[in-house]
Amino acid sequence: MVRIGIVGAGYIAGSHAEAYAAHPGAEIVYVVDPVVAKAAALAEQYSAQPLADIDALLASDVEAISVCTPSPTHADVVVAALAAGKHVLCEKPVARTLVDAERIVEAGHRGPGLLMIGHVSRFEPDHRAARDAVLAGRIGEVRMMSQTITGVLPEWSEQAWLEDPDQSGGPLVDLAIHSFDYLTWVCGARPQRVHAVGASRPDGLVDYAIATVCYDNGALAVVETSWAHPAGHGMELSTELSGSAGRITWDYAGTAVGSVKRAGALPRAISQLGNRGFVAEIDAFLEAVETGGPSPVPAEEGLLALEIALAAVESLRTRRTVYLPCRETESS
Amino acid sequence: MIDVVLLGCEHLPHARSYAGALQRSHGGRLVGVHDGSPEFGGPLAEELDVAFDADAARLIDQFRPAAAVVCSATARHRELVDLAASHGVHVLCEKPLATTVADAAAMVATCRERDVQLHTAFVSRFYPSILQARDLIARGELGRVRGMVGGNRGRPPLAPRYPSWITEAEAAGGGALIDHSVHVLDAMRFVTGLEAEEVLAETATLFVDADVEDSALVSVVFAGDVPASIDPSWSVTPDTPWDYDFYLRLLGTDGSLTISTGRESLHVSGRYGERTHALQPFEPDIDQAMVEAFLQSVAAGRVLDPCATGEDGLRAVEVACAAYASVEREQFVPTAGGNG
Repeated sequence: MVRIGIVGAGYIAGSHAEAYAAHPGAEIVYVVDPVVAKAAALAEQYSAQPLADIDALLASDVEAISVCTPSPTHADVVVAALAAGKHVLCEKPVARTLVDAERIVEAGHRGPGLLMIGHVSRFEPDHRAARDAVLAGRIGEVRMMSQTITGVLPEWSEQAWLEDPDQSGGPLVDLAIHSFDYLTWVCGARPQRVHAVGASRPDGLVDYAIATVCYDNGALAVVETSWAHPAGHGMELSTELSGSAGRITWDYAGTAVGSVKRAGALPRAISQLGNRGFVAEIDAFLEAVETGGPSPVPAEEGLLALEIALAAVESLRTRRTVYLPCRETESS
Repeated sequence: MIDVVLLGCEHLPHARSYAGALQRSHGGRLVGVHDGSPEFGGPLAEELDVAFDADAARLIDQFRPAAAVVCSATARHRELVDLAASHGVHVLCEKPLATTVADAAAMVATCRERDVQLHTAFVSRFYPSILQARDLIARGELGRVRGMVGGNRGRPPLAPRYPSWITEAEAAGGGALIDHSVHVLDAMRFVTGLEAEEVLAETATLFVDADVEDSALVSVVFAGDVPASIDPSWSVTPDTPWDYDFYLRLLGTDGSLTISTGRESLHVSGRYGERTHALQPFEPDIDQAMVEAFLQSVAAGRVLDPCATGEDGLRAVEVACAAYASVEREQFVPTAGGNG
């Protein structure tokens, strides 16, 4: 049994906890959150113990930790957890800033534990099937990609930190990061430059944006992201991968296996996706912990997705195309 | 009955479609075909059972038509539109209106001076869904428009279906960007009533061996800082079960809207050459609707809604040309300054 600690007891922690609970080889032992009631509520659900601060968790005998705190706190928690000898699954985005992300990458290199970034899209069954088809050569070489993920403003964040651009970066950083990571993973090329357009709320939060990404092999991608879509529809996703010899497309509306229409209510889709992405992500994490790696999603790749997102944010400010920092390829 | 001549048929699939629409129409009839090349235009005229003349002025003098449809290579639009206008002939001109802003602006000015109507063949306006979207936005059902994404992708226009000029920068003004973005840009203007102010594009040649771009992503900022993105790529590969698509997604303060015209089709599993699956569309015939509205406009003596004017064509050329300029500059380019 791998003993698990979950840091942060918000919305995404619930998804992690559910997936650990479904895993026969894991046991949630502690849940940490400065909001004691939130830690207690989540802990109680899984017969774990709530803790008010992370030091007690790091001093405990848990072997692996899920970091599910607001993005600006990731670096301190991940660095401390790795230094304390824990394995770490860090929620996406890897961090809010490149400086923090680089600290996390370095800590991952130092180890000794395993560090994985929770880019759950890679583990979602629909996304995984599309990438498998690409790897099988079904559409030739990937040339043009698009992904749109739109929804209503999330209402679950503690003290509305997601609505604070300094903390979350808005949907370009917090939500579109899924697309930036997934499309980069699918096409296997290096993102080279980015530009973006966006719309701001009166308080300055860019809650709708479209980013264009060019890869070093010439492939193009366009990503639409939104926390501005009207409530009542749930998250909508559609993806298109165009290759030299074919095309893969899917969307949530088209892949829902059923629908419910009740008198006087909005229609509701029956999807089979459920929590399968998180279950697969946590399976991969625990298997890597057991086998000693490699990390299913290295921190470098989380950093790369963040670089795309921050370049898009920068482009909104400068109104220019923004080139990604050129990094030397890691030699193994 | 309005007599119409076809001036130039190098945009062959569209020339054939508009000619067919004229032949089916009760409001007008096709009386003659001109093309610079008798080898190219002659057989089409014969197929349509109308006269052919390699000299456009002589064809106009002979038939004295009230209207003309210009379907030549884009770089020759201006010459033929100016000729028609100088004879007092109303014109429906294939899109893009011209390869340069200067040409497009001159065509608009000439037609205004000669007091003839200039229509641009933006057929997408005639999709009932696009008309509904415009009316719904105008009624304020979605609140203020906050963003848009649209696309019009197609199979690469290669021989033998298309003549070679359409993938030559000089004759066509560019590749997929100018060929398809104008439709989507016009639909966005039409639906929202907003004008494009700035543009930044990426172009690439990713699907076919061509000297022009077959792929582009065009980011547009409309008045009031409304962001938009257009995919005009010739990215439909041979095995794709459809030939082209047209879509528009729109976000407003009070709601959102999605149109994807290709959904209006049947999925058919069967033999289609190399393919085993194809879509059988049952969309309304927007080419016919546009040609009828053009004829009705000529009869009425004014451009009727929802026809696109020469100015509408000019606006789209301005955006496309600014988009090309932005590729080099790697920054947002004002749409008015795109060609200068």
